[in-house]
Amino acid sequence: MNLEFGKVALVAIFLLVPFAGIALGMRAPSLRSKIPLVVAFFAGLIPIVSLYVPKRFLSGDTGMSPRLDQWLIIVAGFALLLGITNVIQNSTKKITRRAPGWPYAAVLLAGLYVMSAFAIYGWWSGDGIGIRPDGSATPFQWVYIAVFQPLQATIFALLAFFIASAAFRAFRARNTEATILLIAAAIVMSGRVPLLEFLAFPFPFLHGAAADASQFMGRATEWIMDVPNGAAQSGIIIGAALGAGSMAIRVILGIERGYLGLGKSE
Amino acid sequence: MAGLLQRLLNLDRRWIFLFVLVSVATPIVIPIGLPVTTTGATRSAFEFVESLRPGDVVWLSFDYGPSSAPENDPMAEGFMRQCLEKKVRVIVSALYPLGGLSLANASVAKVSAEYPGAEYGVDYINLGYKDGAAAVMRRLGDDIEGVFPTDVSGRPISEFPIMQGIKNIRSVKLVMTVATGTIGEWWITQVHAQFGTPVIIGPTAVSAPKYYAFLNAGQLVGMLGGMKGAAEYEKLLAAKYPNLGAFYGKTLLFTATKGMDGQTVLHAVILLFILLGNIAYFSNRSRRAGR
Repeated sequence: MNLEFGKVALVAIFLLVPFAGIALGMRAPSLRSKIPLVVAFFAGLIPIVSLYVPKRFLSGDTGMSPRLDQWLIIVAGFALLLGITNVIQNSTKKITRRAPGWPYAAVLLAGLYVMSAFAIYGWWSGDGIGIRPDGSATPFQWVYIAVFQPLQATIFALLAFFIASAAFRAFRARNTEATILLIAAAIVMSGRVPLLEFLAFPFPFLHGAAADASQFMGRATEWIMDVPNGAAQSGIIIGAALGAGSMAIRVILGIERGYLGLGKSE
Repeated sequence: MAGLLQRLLNLDRRWIFLFVLVSVATPIVIPIGLPVTTTGATRSAFEFVESLRPGDVVWLSFDYGPSSAPENDPMAEGFMRQCLEKKVRVIVSALYPLGGLSLANASVAKVSAEYPGAEYGVDYINLGYKDGAAAVMRRLGDDIEGVFPTDVSGRPISEFPIMQGIKNIRSVKLVMTVATGTIGEWWITQVHAQFGTPVIIGPTAVSAPKYYAFLNAGQLVGMLGGMKGAAEYEKLLAAKYPNLGAFYGKTLLFTATKGMDGQTVLHAVILLFILLGNIAYFSNRSRRAGR
């Protein structure tokens, strides 16, 4: 039996501690909320510490950090399962109570069950869920191509209609900020596409001038995207990262406990 | 005139929708063939792939779904074509849950059919989908086989010559993520920042502004921003490889270059709407001020 350090340590922290916690929690209910905090503390701390300690303990091939990452992938799979269970529960409840919009819940469930059935059939028949070797589509793939793909494309394509409508109704130079935004948007929209060439298309004598002006607009667009946009995005990303970091520290230290889903008394 | 502008302000939105539909559909049916100019971000992505040597291994991740496929498919397929032209080997994965795998399967089947000399498992491989994108990326830094023990068809990846000597993401010369949402950002923070592997991103146009920050910081070697970026890439491919020039010039399939015609007309329409809306607004305001 290969008792690697990382495996043993992780099993000790994440399996024995919770079980011990459950056992203790039965005797002392106040401990019930403490054990998940211990688990969260180690789960948060190990990847950070692994960057600073010798590889063989935490971040080597058999270390705790890569094993924890592996577990994370497995947990993500279970999270997906949990999500599906949640969808089934909520939708079923909605249908049985005839809540507003229940037919949509019925369609959602029908989609879930039909696709699951086709996936199980693909697994059972050995065809999988993609294209068969002879080039024909499996039932799962057929529904994906004929239903899911056009539906998703349609939803996204609706954006073009709503953007055009919103631009007409709401994009006004009401004040200085809106005017700056409008000018920047007009330059970027013109510079990202060969708009001037398109407008000059019926007039051959303007093609050269349109090409030069288009080059200029393209450079202006790149400047807007690189400099003001790049600077603003950097600020947003750094701010969000600092926020995420401080939230992570709060979770690791057990200050932020919202994820436990406990009542105030606990 | 005042009455006309007032009517314009109260225009039924269905007229706008109809106008947009006609404007987008017409250039798709009757292509205009407008010119495409290249930008620095796309050129540096293209040049980086050009600098790779035959036999080098790159990672192509399909991190998008069908909703953005018209923008993202041409990027992924163009990248794959360039790699196969250069004999650079490609490892394909999909980390987007809503259809990333099906798009990867379709694009790999399409492009590999164009290169009959390219052999599966030697020149390219499809590892399929894995859930938990950020955790997958972190794990790729240690052990690819630990995350993807088999390819998409269930065969152990250790059987394939392409995977020989490729233990982790550090052994890969480049990651190309064609992405919608935040998965693309994770390739930068989880893979480039921690393991140093260069990353090129092909985001949708709405996500592209965010990535200029990473581009300016040197954390991306290049970017194909939206359909425009994909069309630029197609132009560079067509200029460098005569057979791809012929392919992009003649193919009846959808290409980003063709899509740019529709996008150009739509931008013109939206700008026209903004202009008309503002004329009507200011005319209305000055009329009210005059009363």
